[in-house]
Amino acid sequence: MSETARRAVSVSVSALGKLFGDKRALDDVCIDVEPGTFLVLLGPSGSGKTTLLRCVAGIERPSSGTISLGGNVVVGGKTFLPPERRKLAMVFQDYALWPHLTVRKNVAYPLTTSSLAKSERVGRCDDLLERVGISHLADRYPNELSGGEQQRVALARALAAEVGLILFDEPLSNLDADRREQLRIEIATLTREAGMTAIYITHDQSEAFALADQIGVLNQGRLVQFDTPENIYRHPNSAFVARFTGVAGEFPVHVTSLMGDHRVQVALPFASSHTIEASNTECLKPDADVSLFVRASGVMLAEPARNEGVRGIIRDVAYNGRGYDHVVDVGEGFTLTKIFATTRFERGRNVKVCFDPSACFVMDPTREVSE
Amino acid sequence: MAIAVLETTAPVTPPPPTSKRRGSLGGVILWVVLTLLIIAPVASFLILGVSPRVFQQGSQWFTLSYVRQAFSSYFGRGIFNSLWVSTTVAILSVCLATALAWLIHRTNVGGRRFWTVAMWLLLMMPTWMMTLGWSDLLQPFGAAEALGVNTHLIYGEFFGPLGIVVVLTSAALPFAYFIVSAGLQGLGPEYEDAARIHGAGPIRSLQTVLPIIAPALLSALAICFAETMSDFGVAFTLGYHSNFPMATYVLFSAISNFPANFSVAAVIAAVLIISTIPPIVLQSRVMRKRSYAVLSGRTRAPRRRQLARGPRALATTAVAGVFFVALGVPILGAVIGSLVKNLGIDSPNGVHFTLTYYAQIFKPSIQGDSLGAPLLLSNQLGLVVATGTGVLAVILARRLIANPGSWSQRVTDVFLLGSVAVPGVVLGVGYIFFYNLSFISHNVVSIYKTLPLLMLALVANAVPGQTRFMAGPVSQIQPSLGEAARVHGAGRMRAWRTTNLPLMSRVLLWGWLLTFTKTIAELAISQILYPPSQEPASVSIQSYLANFAPNTGTAMTVLTLFEMLAVIGIALSIYRLVTPKGWRRVGWTGVQS
Repeated sequence: MSETARRAVSVSVSALGKLFGDKRALDDVCIDVEPGTFLVLLGPSGSGKTTLLRCVAGIERPSSGTISLGGNVVVGGKTFLPPERRKLAMVFQDYALWPHLTVRKNVAYPLTTSSLAKSERVGRCDDLLERVGISHLADRYPNELSGGEQQRVALARALAAEVGLILFDEPLSNLDADRREQLRIEIATLTREAGMTAIYITHDQSEAFALADQIGVLNQGRLVQFDTPENIYRHPNSAFVARFTGVAGEFPVHVTSLMGDHRVQVALPFASSHTIEASNTECLKPDADVSLFVRASGVMLAEPARNEGVRGIIRDVAYNGRGYDHVVDVGEGFTLTKIFATTRFERGRNVKVCFDPSACFVMDPTREVSE
Repeated sequence: MAIAVLETTAPVTPPPPTSKRRGSLGGVILWVVLTLLIIAPVASFLILGVSPRVFQQGSQWFTLSYVRQAFSSYFGRGIFNSLWVSTTVAILSVCLATALAWLIHRTNVGGRRFWTVAMWLLLMMPTWMMTLGWSDLLQPFGAAEALGVNTHLIYGEFFGPLGIVVVLTSAALPFAYFIVSAGLQGLGPEYEDAARIHGAGPIRSLQTVLPIIAPALLSALAICFAETMSDFGVAFTLGYHSNFPMATYVLFSAISNFPANFSVAAVIAAVLIISTIPPIVLQSRVMRKRSYAVLSGRTRAPRRRQLARGPRALATTAVAGVFFVALGVPILGAVIGSLVKNLGIDSPNGVHFTLTYYAQIFKPSIQGDSLGAPLLLSNQLGLVVATGTGVLAVILARRLIANPGSWSQRVTDVFLLGSVAVPGVVLGVGYIFFYNLSFISHNVVSIYKTLPLLMLALVANAVPGQTRFMAGPVSQIQPSLGEAARVHGAGRMRAWRTTNLPLMSRVLLWGWLLTFTKTIAELAISQILYPPSQEPASVSIQSYLANFAPNTGTAMTVLTLFEMLAVIGIALSIYRLVTPKGWRRVGWTGVQS
């Protein structure tokens, strides 16, 4: 086992609860993270993801439950280990760079209590600054850097600690689109190279899918789904998860028949003669009224002359660099958004809309965890 | 009152969470300290106003006769005079300070850095020194006449309400200036730009923008009113000599005359406190209900209006004129006064300058005391009081911003607001009563008529204002900076020392210097509580001025002033030499430089 792989720690959160006054920020959250896993906690504002991260960091004291890092209980019963004894690192949303210290001193901070000789500390610092591409800024102060550069310093500081767990608190939320993309790749690469376990929180599902080995979706303080990115995308377990991870459209539908193997046939509300196949994770009865959720990746646009598919009219089109995102009016007041095509369909043009059954699922919207 | 509330409109952010048990124990200890420092002494004095028998000052358990007495004749005149003078001074100083703050922060007026330093000097200058400078300058055969300026016409006017308003407005100016400046600093140009883009002219856009800093203006008004009501220096000197009684002086005379009337003094003290609480509480409520948080990550630095050469020269002259009147005249008057032989006496030989009075300062005189020992004692007091106040103020400031909206935060807030309004003279008398109680001296602490009692009273006097002074900068430090240190391996103390302390260092230093200089020059508490044969400098100077040798007293005043300036210079130089560059770049979170 390599040194970096040995460094990564497991994280175990059990029955974690946190109350702020009478408001429940976390409710019975249980998570188990294998060493070296990149876990992304995904959820809207107020879902409790930041509170959960801060509890793991030791900045927040949970009201109940236990947290173990690398098998050692850091929170539980009367035990509460302060942050400095948990051997972890963190990248803050506002970067939290100390304005009175230069870039080099910020990065060297976690090393000041280590047993390393000064020359070694300087060497490691310079190496990290080189790796994140800001070695030329070592003697500058944080306020002399751009947002992206500041974020790189925060990342280098977290990596400098050489600990088993690194926490990311929405680190890309203050950056523009270009820098987000670039830094996201760097975070993924450098964290995995360092062999650390990572917990990363975000409300951006594309960021979550791009980074994660595992995703935990939180809503109103509860962990509503914990799975691989692929499973969460393909098999959301609730309407909330489906919506939050991105759908092109949501329609009330009527189940016409059960097909077995978690498949059903449903009648579309905007094309009553047309039925499509969708996956089903719940125990539905025939004739049930449910909602159909369609992923953007499961919708294709075709020429109107094509036999299969339902009719639609292009309402809007936007160029996204790789192709075109379309908004399609499918009738009866229903629309599908973000439908990708490599060719452009002009506004007002008639098209045929074809559905991929693997990206369509039905669920009872009233049964969802909560929203 | 030593220093007042210098608040910013910065959003208050909570500090990192702490252990509840540790927090509650700390809270209990803190409130015991505050009770011994402020609450018990003040309450034990105030109770005499209606129940003199409690401390054997009369036969009644409850009476309102002293309330009637306090509002009649000489005492009543003092209260009335203080109320109208304080109202006038508050309005004048806020108007003047707003104009100065706008010129210095929002235009290219000349000497901007110099004026800010001058404002700090003005803040540190005690009112009795200002009075002395003015009277030395204007008196017949005084310093102005030595320079060939005839002051006969102004002299009569100065020794009366006009002079009192001028000196007190000068003294209140820095408080208003720093509060309004903080408001203006957060006011980005986008508000004015938006008004101009939507059709407002320069005047209308100013009318649109000014209400945004209304809380700062209201805060400044409240503080200037409270500061003026509680001032003792002017009341003791100019007010007394002008036969214009003011509340703090009539209170002092009620306890220092024979027989002393402590019950009337207590009623006057209550009036002083009660009169200052409504404007402060009103301001606090306005601040709480309406959000004027204009500082954000997106706020751009305020843009300076580039004045043309003519208007710029005019504006610079106007600013210089204000500082000349407020600061230049008193210093000039005192310095020249200390150098003119037989100041105030018509000499057939004309005006002669001399250094005799400076030589006399350190020679034993008829009185038997030189300035050496009192000045040394005052410096020692300043050192202890400023350090003690600084520690307590930081603890209280952290408590003040912790858990916004909580019960403990509200109690601390109201207590500090109320305490800012307690004049030094009230605190001094309260200390006499409380620490002279046989129960206290036998069972708690026996420090009556000792130097520690004076120190405690001076700390109590400085803590409320200093705490509010610190609260703004403390609240501006993002909690994530400390959290980041903890997460990356620093313990609680190391995290505070390496992240919060550097960011607060400059404001801590200025807070310390402010308390240090105010302690050296403090008069009311020192006059009441100094132990026998241990006179602080301010008391010693007053006795020289009043009884024995006014010229030597003036020279002592000048020397004390320059000694204070020297300490400030040395402290700032040491700070510059010993602190890392990073500290000096950012250690100025609260008050504008």
